[in-house]
Amino acid sequence: MGDNLQTLLWDCISGKITLDILVFEGSVINAPNGTGQWNRFAHRPMKEWLKDLCQVAKFIVAVGDCATWGGIPAMSPNPSESQGLQYLKREKGGFLGKDFVSQAGLPVINIPGCPAHPDWITQILVAIATGRIADIALDELQRPQTFFNTYTQTGCTRNIHFAYKASTQEFGQRKGCLYYDLGCRGPMTHSSCNRTLWNRVSSKTRAGMPCIGCTEPEFPFFDLQPGTVFKTQTIMGVPKELPPGVKAKDYALLTMVAKDTMPPWAEEDFFTV
Amino acid sequence: MTIQTLDISPVGRVEGDLDVRVDIEDGQVVNAWTQAEMFRGFEIILRGKDPQAGLIVTPRICGICGGSHLTSASWALDTLWGTEVPRNAILARNLGQIVETIQSIPRYFYGLFAIDLTNKNYRSSRFYEEACRRFAAFTGKSYELGVTISGKPVEIYALFGGQWPHSSYMVPGGVMCAPTLTDITRAWAILEYFRTNWLEPVWLGCSLERYEQIRTYDDFMAWLDENPNHRESDLGFYWRMGLDIGLDRYGAGVGKYVTWGYLPHEDKYQKPTIPGRNTAMFMKNGVYDSFSDTHASMDQSLLRENTTHSWYDEGTADVHPSDRTTKPRVSNTKDFENAYSWSSAVLHQDFGRLEAGPLARQLVAGGNHGESWQHHDGFILDAFKRLGGASVHLRQLARLHEIVKLYRQAQHCLRELKLNDPWYIKPTEKDGQGWGATEAARGALSHWVEVQEGKIKNYQVITPGTWNIGPRDSEGKRGPIEQALIGTPIEDSTDPVEVGHVARSFDSCLVCTVHAHDAKTGEELARFRTA
Repeated sequence: MGDNLQTLLWDCISGKITLDILVFEGSVINAPNGTGQWNRFAHRPMKEWLKDLCQVAKFIVAVGDCATWGGIPAMSPNPSESQGLQYLKREKGGFLGKDFVSQAGLPVINIPGCPAHPDWITQILVAIATGRIADIALDELQRPQTFFNTYTQTGCTRNIHFAYKASTQEFGQRKGCLYYDLGCRGPMTHSSCNRTLWNRVSSKTRAGMPCIGCTEPEFPFFDLQPGTVFKTQTIMGVPKELPPGVKAKDYALLTMVAKDTMPPWAEEDFFTV
Repeated sequence: MTIQTLDISPVGRVEGDLDVRVDIEDGQVVNAWTQAEMFRGFEIILRGKDPQAGLIVTPRICGICGGSHLTSASWALDTLWGTEVPRNAILARNLGQIVETIQSIPRYFYGLFAIDLTNKNYRSSRFYEEACRRFAAFTGKSYELGVTISGKPVEIYALFGGQWPHSSYMVPGGVMCAPTLTDITRAWAILEYFRTNWLEPVWLGCSLERYEQIRTYDDFMAWLDENPNHRESDLGFYWRMGLDIGLDRYGAGVGKYVTWGYLPHEDKYQKPTIPGRNTAMFMKNGVYDSFSDTHASMDQSLLRENTTHSWYDEGTADVHPSDRTTKPRVSNTKDFENAYSWSSAVLHQDFGRLEAGPLARQLVAGGNHGESWQHHDGFILDAFKRLGGASVHLRQLARLHEIVKLYRQAQHCLRELKLNDPWYIKPTEKDGQGWGATEAARGALSHWVEVQEGKIKNYQVITPGTWNIGPRDSEGKRGPIEQALIGTPIEDSTDPVEVGHVARSFDSCLVCTVHAHDAKTGEELARFRTA
């Protein structure tokens, strides 16, 4: 710790100790005016430690939205001039630049989420440590596909209500889908929340909380402008954002059919006490 | 070396960076400065945003107190919008708050505090070898069990809120969930597991009922002597070792204490208002002044903040938190005569600097103020008087003592939830000012929100860390941790573990970089980090 920790960090930087995997949490704070002095760590701006360590690391793993995209600190007006390691929101580049690769020749591996699920973190670290890096396919945002290829909705217990367009119109209901009125982003968000579950027992959407899309670079969506929190953004009653790949015309057709075929129980208290 | 052990602690950085500078003279700390070294600007980020933005943003201020932030954020909006909160929702919110704190107690004790009992400083203690067997990081018998079991209570949070940390299941007007019978029965099973696998056999060495008979310091000492299981429990063992290595002899602090009170009674706070809060909390609010041995009730209007020694361009006057403007200073050079921290100094208009945390809660719980139905418990106040005031050791006992009471409160919530009653009553949004508060595991937490024309005009947060870590105030008076460090004996100035004990006894959930300076030469003697 302290001097010991600093010695360790310097030994990594000098190459005396091999830095196999650098795991970074938190945004890269550049304020004020690009100096990084608003976040000092062991007498130096944190970003300077980071710059040095990134040059020598074999693999770099960014954990959480702050480290991947900038997260909440980078939300407008971004008072701490925060960036993610290789992105700022959806824009590639970030602190290290878009062409950066670590010693192993790979870009930063992004494990987003606010918070990142412990399984996402530990399993990727184990995969790297056990020589399975070649099996980790990254998506276009450098997220491991094994966790971020499917949608948050995959495995949600409210899917049946989604199918029949039965809405949870206000909070505190057991029935319905949270997508139509309460702003749930489960159909559009990439994560395995409903496959792996949280704390081994549940997920936000199962419990009744709309997904807020926290594994995507735009989180918090709409910069939390007035009227955007826990409310589905609609035009003429139709959600502005449809599940990816669904065309507006088809969606309208599907809505008619779904509502026509909806069985009565879909509007009842499905998960009875 | 313990220092090495701390470095690999699994509970590391949670809320930003804290540096502590101490001057040491003749083996004692003679001066101290606590410095928060990271600025993120949550208050600035929240300006102009949706009134409910705090429900999403503020739980993310901290990875370990997120439920407490959510509690404060939602009650603040309830007072602002004048909502009606159904009985079930009050219980479901309380349950979230309770299990988060129950989680924190073993996680803090084993993961952050007790590993230092294996420091080489204590090698001559007759408890040392056993302490290593129990508390060594990763390998200690109790360490492993305690850190693992600390994940169980928040499974209940996930049943109600979907996940822990960072759910936003509490909303103005109630909660988002509508639990089913199996959610309740699973929650009971988790509580039972926690009790029968750790709380009773490992922690207490007795039943909850036996432990609950302890009302005074003499009762506690009699409990220790009564049975080898009590003495050899982790609590009994820790208490005896702490006395042996002198943890009761330093770390006193400012001698005045504050709690907002928490856990609103399910039948008494369904129409939440700011003035109505004090008489609706099961755990009562208050200030305890140990110099005059008096209790007073606490009111948010009496609170002040001062930024004389902080990196803000907001003048030197004491202002109410809702009047803060949060203007960070571009140049944050450390100047111990002037500004040296991103934290502000928090003070009570009449009592000045106050310590927040479990010790504060328990000293207030011993007062005769408040409503007759509110929780009263004189044990820690009695121990405080018998032991001659606060110390590192008593701060731990107060924290550890709360776990049984909170366990009972969690059972109460599960018993009282009515599955067919409402969980949410949709409120009407309006402009105005709101205030919400609770007690996070580590102390008094409150949020002020002002909404104008449908968006946030000002959002201010005072965490337990702000109370305790704050720098000097306009009169140059030290903050609670700064003051508590004064007089700390330092056995080995290149390894000042005692400074770590004091800083950690506040459980400030910050990484502390401790700089030890020789008061005469100014030479830097040692630096080490505490989690």
